[in-house]
Amino acid sequence: MNASSEATQGSHRENGATPFALSARNVTKKFPGVVANKQVNFDVARGEVHTLLGENGAGKSTLASILSGLYRPDEGTVLRNGIEIRLTSPRSGLSHGIAMVHQHFRLVDRFTVAENVVLGSKGLTFVLQPKDIEAKVAEVCEKFGLPLDPRAVVGELSAGQRQRVEIIKALYHGAEVLLLDEPTALLAPPEVVKLFETVRAMTSAGKSVVFVSHKLGEVVDISDRITVMRDGKVTGSVKRGGANASRLAELMVGREITLAPRRGKSDSGEVLLSVSQVHLSHDQIKILSDVNIKVRGGEILGIAGVSGNGQRDLAEVISGLRQPNKGAVTVCGVPTSGLGARATRKAGLAYVPEDRLGTGLAPSLSMVDNLLLTRERGFLVDRKSALTEAEGFIEKLEIKTPGPLTSIRKLSGGNAQKVLLARELFSGDMSRVLVVCSPTRGLDVGAVEAVHTLLDEARKNGKAILLISEDLDEVMTLADRVIVLYRGKIVLEARGVSEDFEAVGRAMAGLSA
Amino acid sequence: MIVGKTRIQLEARLTSPRWLIVAVPVLSVLLASVVGGVFLLLTGHPPLRTYGDLLNNGYTSFYGLTDTLGLATPLICTGMAAAFAFRMNLYNIGQEGQLYLGMVGGAWAGIALAPHLTPFIAVPVVLVTGALFGAAWVLVPALLRARLGTSEIVSTLLLNYVALNLINYFIFGSRGFFRDPSTPFPQGRMIYESARFGAFGTTNTYPTLLISMFLAVFLFWFVRSSNYGYETSVFADSPSTARYAGMNSTWLTTSVLLVSGSLAGLGGAMYVVGPAGKVDPGLLQIGLGYAGIVVAALARYNFVAVILTAILFAGLRVGGSALQASSDPVPIAIAVVLQGAVLLFALGGELFRRNRVVITRVIESHQVMVGEVS
Repeated sequence: MNASSEATQGSHRENGATPFALSARNVTKKFPGVVANKQVNFDVARGEVHTLLGENGAGKSTLASILSGLYRPDEGTVLRNGIEIRLTSPRSGLSHGIAMVHQHFRLVDRFTVAENVVLGSKGLTFVLQPKDIEAKVAEVCEKFGLPLDPRAVVGELSAGQRQRVEIIKALYHGAEVLLLDEPTALLAPPEVVKLFETVRAMTSAGKSVVFVSHKLGEVVDISDRITVMRDGKVTGSVKRGGANASRLAELMVGREITLAPRRGKSDSGEVLLSVSQVHLSHDQIKILSDVNIKVRGGEILGIAGVSGNGQRDLAEVISGLRQPNKGAVTVCGVPTSGLGARATRKAGLAYVPEDRLGTGLAPSLSMVDNLLLTRERGFLVDRKSALTEAEGFIEKLEIKTPGPLTSIRKLSGGNAQKVLLARELFSGDMSRVLVVCSPTRGLDVGAVEAVHTLLDEARKNGKAILLISEDLDEVMTLADRVIVLYRGKIVLEARGVSEDFEAVGRAMAGLSA
Repeated sequence: MIVGKTRIQLEARLTSPRWLIVAVPVLSVLLASVVGGVFLLLTGHPPLRTYGDLLNNGYTSFYGLTDTLGLATPLICTGMAAAFAFRMNLYNIGQEGQLYLGMVGGAWAGIALAPHLTPFIAVPVVLVTGALFGAAWVLVPALLRARLGTSEIVSTLLLNYVALNLINYFIFGSRGFFRDPSTPFPQGRMIYESARFGAFGTTNTYPTLLISMFLAVFLFWFVRSSNYGYETSVFADSPSTARYAGMNSTWLTTSVLLVSGSLAGLGGAMYVVGPAGKVDPGLLQIGLGYAGIVVAALARYNFVAVILTAILFAGLRVGGSALQASSDPVPIAIAVVLQGAVLLFALGGELFRRNRVVITRVIESHQVMVGEVS
């Protein structure tokens, strides 16, 4: 086993002495219109962390689902310890010691940790014996260093803790191979560190972990091996030490990409968006307290924070969708609080919400109809000019779509986001202030680059941009200044490029800097 | 599903071929006839001859067709009422009650207002009053839905029974305004002649047919081209997108339900202006309101298609009634069975419009189930 940096084509390799814990052999899986996996070979050794890296839609989740028994392959086989197995359901996967932790947790909120863990297990007594169960669950927690109270109600746990419940559940049911699908998506940086510790504890106990991820940066540290997928095929496999971020990125997207930070030139523009002393509460619970923000033309102000710390509410207050209990919002010199969404937009504010398909766009309607959404419309709608505009955008932004009359739902996430950004950036009266929330969430590397370029260009054109994102890398790459929101309060304001990445990360987790 | 060595799967279609849009309804009518034929055979009626009579009485003879068009007139209205609300995901199923109220409103205007009006505007006043009464009947469910999110399905449905009892009270339970004072026999008081349309010749078709067809074509254009239609499509697709764009959801919800109610009410008023001329409890037996829901569903909420499906349904009803009166009486229930079967097959056909059936042979490889793995 030498740690050469050469990527081996595929990972098809037989190991005579110790068979792989889990393998996929020539697996092909088709869905209507797409081949999600094409002749894929993939091996996980005992005690290793093997990352499956790829853009969204590369086929990595499909492969993980086949390996765990959720999907059945159209062709090819799955091998466990070198023996061919036929999985018919996640339960049959579990009976072979294979478990998958999905990105969206499958837990019952009202049940306790222990109840969730034993859910679905066979051989439970008719009347549950909570004490016995709790003791057994506590045992598993201790063994793998997963601090968790078995009697805690799942609905009250944080995302990181819930994930731990899923992992404990898998271990409790005897999992030897764990597949974690995008496990860091919902976690704050310190929680990611904890997760990695758990993963290490599991592998040293001889268990295998498959890490499914599209985040290049973080997988390099944890993985023993990284297999990259693109368009349903394995494009390369790299061992620990042989991985170099830009080489992996190339394998992911099939071309070289730049991940260099981008900055604005000056901060001398006039203040176009100002939020002063905004307070917001709902049912007596404080959501935002004393938020003060100023964004100048030609700059991007980044707001970092773990989801649920008031970011979305702040965006809704600024865009006029919600009225603050106290405080004022001014857009291009016009006080807009209390005027509603239409008036705020008229004052010069464009808004790209976090939920692009359910809020920013009407998914069943066409691109043309979606461009009309934020326009001034008369008694009759003018689809002709919107059609011309749509055709222009398709060409200029290289939006991949069958046509401007195709419903948005049929577009990929990246192309839908391009439509949304095009409307908010260029359509209608050319707003001067832009609020964008998580603009690249769920997008692949190529689309992320396109979106970042669009935002950077808008900045150069003198727009004032408020970038709200959970993706710390994104904020640090694009923003001229960074603010951290924690429990509705600004806990850190960082100026310029040099600010410590770690300080922002700690502030996001609520640890004083 | 696996049968023997063959695997049958449904696969979502990425695009639906155009011919399917025509083929699915045609096939569903044919298959429904087969099902109806089985019932006819079981009850001892020759299916082919019965269908021939049905066709003749409902569609292909002159009086059959004109009877059908006459019945289709209010049915187009209730069909439009259902389509208008349903396409915005507002399930107003109170067309029945709104139709009765339209009848009451129309009769009131025809008795109380018509004597003071020139004949030229008497008919429009009766129709508009009926529409307003229909809208008023849905006002409370509309406001409850828009303000409090109360299910309009339950509230509009329950109000149907209130409306039904109201009509019965007006005609059978009281000697009030709507009851004919000149006879002890319980029947509605006729509206003024000036407020009525005459039928075309000796047929049962009235000029109101042209009004409802014109309205259907107008609405077809309106929902596609107007800002109001656009906003309702956005709201139907994603309420949160509508909110994002600053649309007024309370206004949209309320107004759509009111328009829906007024269309059903208009259907009731057309019945008064045309064949009935009074509040007529006989209308209660036809179930035009509920049939409107079926008509709208079959037309897939397309207003022009509503005209066609309404005529299809009215013909089944007219032809079915004629069979009942023939020398070899076939129960009217058979027409109802046919209606139900058409709907079921049409809705089932949607599955095949959206999906295709894929049949593959399962190739047995030497795959083994492994029992014990440590």
